[in-house]
Amino acid sequence: MPQGDYIELHRKRHGYRHDYFEKKRKKEARQVHERSAKAQKALGIKGKMIAKKNYAEKALMKKTLAMHEESSTRRKVDEVQEGAIPAYLMDRENTTRAKVLSNTIKQKRKEKAGKWEVPLPKVRPVAEDEMFKVIRTGKRKTKQWKRMVTKCTFVGPGFTRKPPKYERFIRPSGLRFTKAHVTHPELKCTFNLDIIGVKKNPNGPMYTSLGVMTRGTIIEVNVSELGLVTPAGKVVWGKYAQVTNNPENDGCINAVLLV
Amino acid sequence: MVQYNFKKITVVPNGKDFVDIILSRTQRQTPTVVHKGYAISRLRQFYMRKVKYTQQNFHEKLSTIIDEFPRLDDIHPFYGDLLHVLYNKDHYKLALGQINTARNLISKIAKDYVKLLKYGDSLYRCKSLKVAALGRMCTVIKRIGPSLAYLEQIRQHMARLPSIDPNTRTILICGYPNVGKSSFMNKVTRADVDVQPYAFTTKSLFVGHTDYKYLRYQVIDTPGILDRPFEDRNIIEMCSITALAHLRAAVLFFLDISGSCGYTIAQQAALFHSIKSLFMNKPLIIVCNKTDLQPLDGLSEEDMKLVREMQAEAMKTVMGQGGEASNEEGVLLTMSTLTEDGVINVKNAACERLLNQRVELKMKSKKINDCLNRFHVAIPKPRDQKERPPCIPQAVLEAKAKEAAQKEKRKTEKDLEEENGGAGVYSASLRKKYILASDEWKEDVLPEILDGHNVYDFIDPDILLRLEELEREEGLRQAEEGDDEFEMDDDDLSPEEREALAAIRKKKSLLIQQHRIKKSTAESRPTVPRKFDKDREFTTKRMGRQLSRMGLDPSLAIGRARSKSRGRKRERSLDRGDNDGGEAMDMDVDRPKKMLRARSRSQSMARSRSTSRPPSEVVPGEGFKDSAQKVKAYKLAKKSVKKRNKDARRGEADRVIPTLKPKHLYSGKRSTGKTDRR
Repeated sequence: MPQGDYIELHRKRHGYRHDYFEKKRKKEARQVHERSAKAQKALGIKGKMIAKKNYAEKALMKKTLAMHEESSTRRKVDEVQEGAIPAYLMDRENTTRAKVLSNTIKQKRKEKAGKWEVPLPKVRPVAEDEMFKVIRTGKRKTKQWKRMVTKCTFVGPGFTRKPPKYERFIRPSGLRFTKAHVTHPELKCTFNLDIIGVKKNPNGPMYTSLGVMTRGTIIEVNVSELGLVTPAGKVVWGKYAQVTNNPENDGCINAVLLV
Repeated sequence: MVQYNFKKITVVPNGKDFVDIILSRTQRQTPTVVHKGYAISRLRQFYMRKVKYTQQNFHEKLSTIIDEFPRLDDIHPFYGDLLHVLYNKDHYKLALGQINTARNLISKIAKDYVKLLKYGDSLYRCKSLKVAALGRMCTVIKRIGPSLAYLEQIRQHMARLPSIDPNTRTILICGYPNVGKSSFMNKVTRADVDVQPYAFTTKSLFVGHTDYKYLRYQVIDTPGILDRPFEDRNIIEMCSITALAHLRAAVLFFLDISGSCGYTIAQQAALFHSIKSLFMNKPLIIVCNKTDLQPLDGLSEEDMKLVREMQAEAMKTVMGQGGEASNEEGVLLTMSTLTEDGVINVKNAACERLLNQRVELKMKSKKINDCLNRFHVAIPKPRDQKERPPCIPQAVLEAKAKEAAQKEKRKTEKDLEEENGGAGVYSASLRKKYILASDEWKEDVLPEILDGHNVYDFIDPDILLRLEELEREEGLRQAEEGDDEFEMDDDDLSPEEREALAAIRKKKSLLIQQHRIKKSTAESRPTVPRKFDKDREFTTKRMGRQLSRMGLDPSLAIGRARSKSRGRKRERSLDRGDNDGGEAMDMDVDRPKKMLRARSRSQSMARSRSTSRPPSEVVPGEGFKDSAQKVKAYKLAKKSVKKRNKDARRGEADRVIPTLKPKHLYSGKRSTGKTDRR
């Protein structure tokens, strides 16, 4: 539109340069070679980036090619067996309702049987010297009874520290977390939810009581935002979730809701 | 004053490029080497620096975007509305708001991660925290990708907006589409706007400049407006409405009286009345265009009435500004852009009225008092009825008349060229203006001088003749000597002579060989003076051998050469201890001890005094102007004394490959502290 569109104006008045299309064609033809030369020459991170991009392009191309081929090639269709029934009849006949269980009973059984069927059944044990850092105290720094937790912790809102002189375990405030990114496995979406408490740390009850959150820890989160409802019709507000990442390395807590 | 230049906004990279730019900068501008064994504080510092640096760069880049894009509320309302019309204010604000949010988010992320890094206890942990931090920042940028793309498009568009200054003298052209607005623009300015015979050729505002009374006027060409409700107008029409609404300009309402634009005069009049409110307080001129197709006088009754109505409306604007009602010609003008009838009239009228209005406004404003009291135009009151014209002396008048008569047009070189056949035929004489004692010399041939000699002196006029003569002579001689050629052969030589000849030939070939050897290595050989005798050629021994071969006794010559080669010994001088000449001669034997002591002391004292003076200090009588000159002279003297190294010895400028691994340091057993000296 604007006044500065001098190239378009010129083209409108005088047409294209006589060698415009020739040049354009050549440039396009050259481009492939230039790109390949660049890709071969690039080193380090640049090289990796180019390789990744090229690979993605190639994969996409292959996929589309395969798709086109699929439409053109003929394949054998599975033979229809004798006495086959149409799909819409399949469910109706075979289902047998032997027992009629109410939903609540089902839920309760499930809870009892598979309470600890969790997404991460096994975790790497965390040794004590990895978990704690020894703090030397005393005027001559000879006493070594103080420990600092080096992992992320959850500290309840009403927590008051003991007098520092007698405090055995220090949970540094920089490593305290109150929120977790919780994924609902069925809804396939993630929410940033408040942590209510640490239910169990697989490494030991002491860690549980300290509120340490490592990979595999079960935490209780506030799901009132999600609007989940119990079969009885009450709003659920606390639910368990398992931590799936190493929070101290990632700087955030990712967890999967246990449903 | 705010400059409305949207061309200087920096490029907004798209989301992916943005991330690439920032990350590669972090990679390049922060240290990259780190080891597990480093102190943990150093490791933390290393990674914290990376996180902070990335955040700073993000912040800087996003801030430039936010700062450089104009805020619609702060700029001139004309531009504010124009940008709103073109890009939609809400969308624009939303995009900038998102950028701002992203900036804050990134700052927060960086703060959090730097805090966490303070508790990092290993390289691995610090590194993963850094990776997480950078990743989250990049994610934030990726999310605002669409906004960045939008802003980049806007930037490109804004850079091409015409640079309209909303406060300067402006003439605004408006009217229905295809009534000849752009043609008028092309006639009046050098804007070179596209003119086509269909409606809406002009799709945006165009700006051009024209001059009137030594002042510059900005002419704005607007797209055509249709007569329809305000809400239905499209973006193109809204551009002109915006310009009409916000620019304080002289408005030229174009009227196509021929109707060849596809709209009748009634329709155009309806448009005029519907946008009448936009003409308030502006000098308005109704321009009847295309008079070549349809003159104004030939209009039908109704149309003429409509035109008169419009004129009356326009007159109101004149009255509103306090102009006199009788001044009708400046309101309704006719012209034809095709035949260029009245185009200049229209321009002049518009400029004149605009100027008058601006001056009036300025006079009414409060600021004018600050200036008015500063200037004063003195108009003396006539004290009587006597006429007092300016008095010019008669002599001056005469002289002026004479001068005018005398002053005829000088003949320039260009005129001469025209007379003598034009460019390419006529060649100007460069010698015409020479200042010589006599004018006749100007065209003389100049002597050609080479190396201080006149070339002409060396030209022999009858050289060819002489050459011929010589050749003839030589031909004769050759004919004579043709038969007896000279050749040396050994047959008529005695045995001694033959031996001597062989010896001579041998020596000659030897010399040639030696010379060739020398020549072949001439490039890489240092130039050494002969007297240093690098190849030990000029020894006495050799001289002796040579002399004795020639049958001479060499002992005398050798002895002489030896005595010469040894330097002269220093003779014992008399005045070594006491160099005060004749006095010492007198008192050499029994000088009193006391005096000797005093002398020695005075000498030592004198020496001590002289040494305490710095060498650069100027002592009167030495002949130096100041200490700088003395120092310079001193240095020069030192340099002249210094000998140049010509005997091809190793010097500091030579390339040296030192012994990289001296054997004595690298062999044998080593124990502590034995690597550098053994």
